[in-house]
Amino acid sequence: MAYVATRGGERAIEQAERLYREALGPITPERVAELRLALPLLVDRVMGEASLYDPDLAALALAQAGGDLYEAVLLLRAWRTTQPRLTIAEPVRQAEILTHRRISAAFKDIPGGQILGPTLDYAHRILATEVMEGETFTPAPVTPAATPAPARQPSLADWQRANGLVADPPRSEVAPDDIPDVTREPLLFPASRAHSLQSLARADTGGLLALGYSAMRGYGNAHPTVNELRLGEAEVMVRHPSGALFSAGRVRVSQAEVTSKGKSGLLDLGFCATFGWNEVKVIAGATLDLNASGAAKGSPVEEEFVLYHTEPVEASGFCIHFKLPHYVTFQSSLDALRGAKTAEKDEVPA
Amino acid sequence: MLDRGEAGDPGAFLSALARSCPKRLKAMAEAMLPRLGAVEVVQSRTGLVMLPFRDTVRGKDFFLGEVLVAEAHIRASGIEGYGMVTGRDLERAMAMAVLDAGRALGLSEVVAFAAREAAVQAEEDTALLRRVEATRVEMETF
Repeated sequence: MAYVATRGGERAIEQAERLYREALGPITPERVAELRLALPLLVDRVMGEASLYDPDLAALALAQAGGDLYEAVLLLRAWRTTQPRLTIAEPVRQAEILTHRRISAAFKDIPGGQILGPTLDYAHRILATEVMEGETFTPAPVTPAATPAPARQPSLADWQRANGLVADPPRSEVAPDDIPDVTREPLLFPASRAHSLQSLARADTGGLLALGYSAMRGYGNAHPTVNELRLGEAEVMVRHPSGALFSAGRVRVSQAEVTSKGKSGLLDLGFCATFGWNEVKVIAGATLDLNASGAAKGSPVEEEFVLYHTEPVEASGFCIHFKLPHYVTFQSSLDALRGAKTAEKDEVPA
Repeated sequence: MLDRGEAGDPGAFLSALARSCPKRLKAMAEAMLPRLGAVEVVQSRTGLVMLPFRDTVRGKDFFLGEVLVAEAHIRASGIEGYGMVTGRDLERAMAMAVLDAGRALGLSEVVAFAAREAAVQAEEDTALLRRVEATRVEMETF
């Protein structure tokens, strides 16, 4: 592909940016705070895809991008590069997550029980048009239970392993500094488990959904059932200089396992987790993880195909670069086309 | 609500400070500051903490992403104080570092403050989990 430097149009470029930003109006702390409050799930989605957890900055990015998710993710990813990496927290373990929601579609009676948590799963989807007539839509308040739910819920996969339902692969401890990191190493295939799951965690929600849905519709090897879906808050456990472990705060996380009957007589499991609460993303991601093993080269569920094509900044960047000047490339194509036509004409007998 | 050890546990103390109400934390630090003497700021910055997550299928750790934090490190009266909180509020991290130093100097008010904040946090968690419990469902098949 050929590119060419272009000159000219500086004034037009400046005015074009002004036209874009003028339409969005002033961005104030109040607007950012309102966005964070009103659109927590969108803020979560941006943080997950940006791979940077800070709801305030995610809301600011959304405000600055006028709601364009790819622009918002790009802004956050770019800003992230200005920050030093201070340390590595302790790994989040499933059974230590402060659980708000935890369900299984595969097993009715799971250890710890099923907690619906905040969800519209069983709600009617009705647009509250009365708001447009000047009324306020006030949701009915929750009636709290007399006793609190357990803060932590046990791991269903652990229970399945104990009951011989799923494989129990040997586990080797990896020092935090040795965990592979796709932000510092190239993504090579076959990808390490850590690279694969990190890439899914920061993947584009829509991209994972499209490919995951194709697997669900039959373009994959395995049809998923949700083994466990969990939304919660994880403590960011860091070390004080004295060595004491403490929580610097909590972050919202989602994780899903999906399952299908494997060929070995055990249940196969797929896994995905991400920052924020984003159920579609983790279910689709776990479905792709479940289907990755043995997938044909170039199929929509093959690991390389999935991970390369769901990286939001690379994919959106490549897509929109096609609108930038390609005059040399295109002129070359035109020249070839004209040349072929001339040759064709010359060959036609008089 | 989450077990963070006993009240005297340094981890529990620091966790309570990191999650405490920013306004009350800063006010308490302001009040304690004169008792620390001259304070040297070793570090005051924002940065990223990598957050690993353990895959429940194969038991591998991977990076979920990075969490923005504010960090502060001070020296006062020959002791050190450290603070780290999620977000980008440097004053909050500094206030935590001041109170951490206060604890090392044996200021009992600081420990009492952390205990009060921990109690508030436990109440908040209990209230949240009572609301969560209201959504517990017994699935029936027929």
